[in-house]
Amino acid sequence: MPGPHTINKYIPPLNFSPVISTEVSLYRSGYPMAINYSFIVDQLHLKTVVYIGDKADLLPEYASFLEREQITFVHIPMDSCRDEGINERIDEVLRMIVNVDNYPMLLHSNKGKHRVGIVVGIVRKILQGWSIASIYQEYGLFSGGMKDETDLEFITMFVSHLETYKDKLPKFVRM
Amino acid sequence: MTLPKDIKNSGSSSPHDTRNYTNHNGEESKESEENSGRLDEIIKRENDIIQLIRQGDDIMTLNDGADNEDFGTALQASRHNSNMSPRRINDMDLLQDRFDDVIRLFHNDESARSPEKLAQRSRRQSVDEGNKNTAEEDIDDKFVLEDHQSRSKEFYDNDIHDLKEVIPPENFSHVVGDIYRSSFPRVENFDFLVKRLKLKSILVLIPEEYPAENLEFMEKAGIKLFQVGMSGNKEPFVNIPSDLLTKALETVLDPQNQPILIHCNRGKHRTGCLIGCIRKLQNWSLTMIFDEYRRFAFPKARALDQQFIEMYDDREIKQVASANNWLPLQW
Repeated sequence: MPGPHTINKYIPPLNFSPVISTEVSLYRSGYPMAINYSFIVDQLHLKTVVYIGDKADLLPEYASFLEREQITFVHIPMDSCRDEGINERIDEVLRMIVNVDNYPMLLHSNKGKHRVGIVVGIVRKILQGWSIASIYQEYGLFSGGMKDETDLEFITMFVSHLETYKDKLPKFVRM
Repeated sequence: MTLPKDIKNSGSSSPHDTRNYTNHNGEESKESEENSGRLDEIIKRENDIIQLIRQGDDIMTLNDGADNEDFGTALQASRHNSNMSPRRINDMDLLQDRFDDVIRLFHNDESARSPEKLAQRSRRQSVDEGNKNTAEEDIDDKFVLEDHQSRSKEFYDNDIHDLKEVIPPENFSHVVGDIYRSSFPRVENFDFLVKRLKLKSILVLIPEEYPAENLEFMEKAGIKLFQVGMSGNKEPFVNIPSDLLTKALETVLDPQNQPILIHCNRGKHRTGCLIGCIRKLQNWSLTMIFDEYRRFAFPKARALDQQFIEMYDDREIKQVASANNWLPLQW
């Protein structure tokens, strides 16, 4: 049972942060647990959740939460950036991101550190044109100062083969 | 493919405590952390040298490594000391090589050599000594105008301001809605601030004078500057006054000022306190507020900053905010 302090407080999921807040809202975090649901419902008004991770089965409470709130859930299986066919899967995530119809969107992994960090890094690089140094810095912020060289190299080298509709592009994307 | 080394090292908070470094070379430590890769290397080699010296039978005593000129001379002298054993001479050769490396690393920034810069440094040093009498100030809290200006000059001299990519300031992040946070913006970040964020105002939390190039840029871009000068929480003696923070929050929450960027020097402590208080207004649990504070303050989170966030009396700002219909904050 929640204690007196938790009743009126919002508890964002681990490593929660806004990534983009323009005319669309993109958020990042770790795996949302029951304690975080009220925050998500009251504050984020999500349309889509993209889970990038290894857990094939949804937590039952999470599944019913998503259904209750009519949030579209997309699971992109990913263990690490060394996975086979990883580029295609990242493209799949990007395909969700470059479509305004999917927002507000939450991108989460388990802890919201590395896997989400990779995708956000790629968004910063390919869609927003951030400098590599800034991208590494942001990755480091959320991974607690731990820099996985493989992840960083993957972000740097990633090339997308994505094709998309111009009229669905969010404004933050610059090509 | 391997990445260029400087890219790999840049843009992160340095893993070691910069304050240790101050003991050896006070003034260099105030250079930006952008050079942290280079600094790390210098420190590592310097430590190696000190190690070597300690192993070598106390041939010489390092006062504290601060006076490099004398160290060099002493080293030269001891190399030619005929009483030394062959093994020790080898050590000494190695030592000299590494020492030369360190000197080269120190001076590969040309401006570091100029008499002007040296004069600045000694002035700064005397200011530092003055401060020691009061409360110890974390170097992260201190904004050094000369450093900022020399880096701006470097940027313009290198003629790289026609970049295709945008460079957000270090420690940059969205906070909520049109509120952003970062460390002190430098010239290379101006494009990002005006073209991407389309800033209307900047709130700076340092008491020092705002640099001319930033003011000029803001005037051109029509960005308004708000300054609420506060010193960082200098544990345990100096605390951020609550009313200053309330004043800062009134500026930030007013939609007329948004999009707004909040920054101090490193975007860690003072900015972190302010963001923590915004999260309180958003009704976040303290645990998650502190988690966010620590993420940005890493590796230098301060207990007093977190205590400040916990103790901050938000009744007044809540009144003002509710009266103006600023709450709840919109993502």
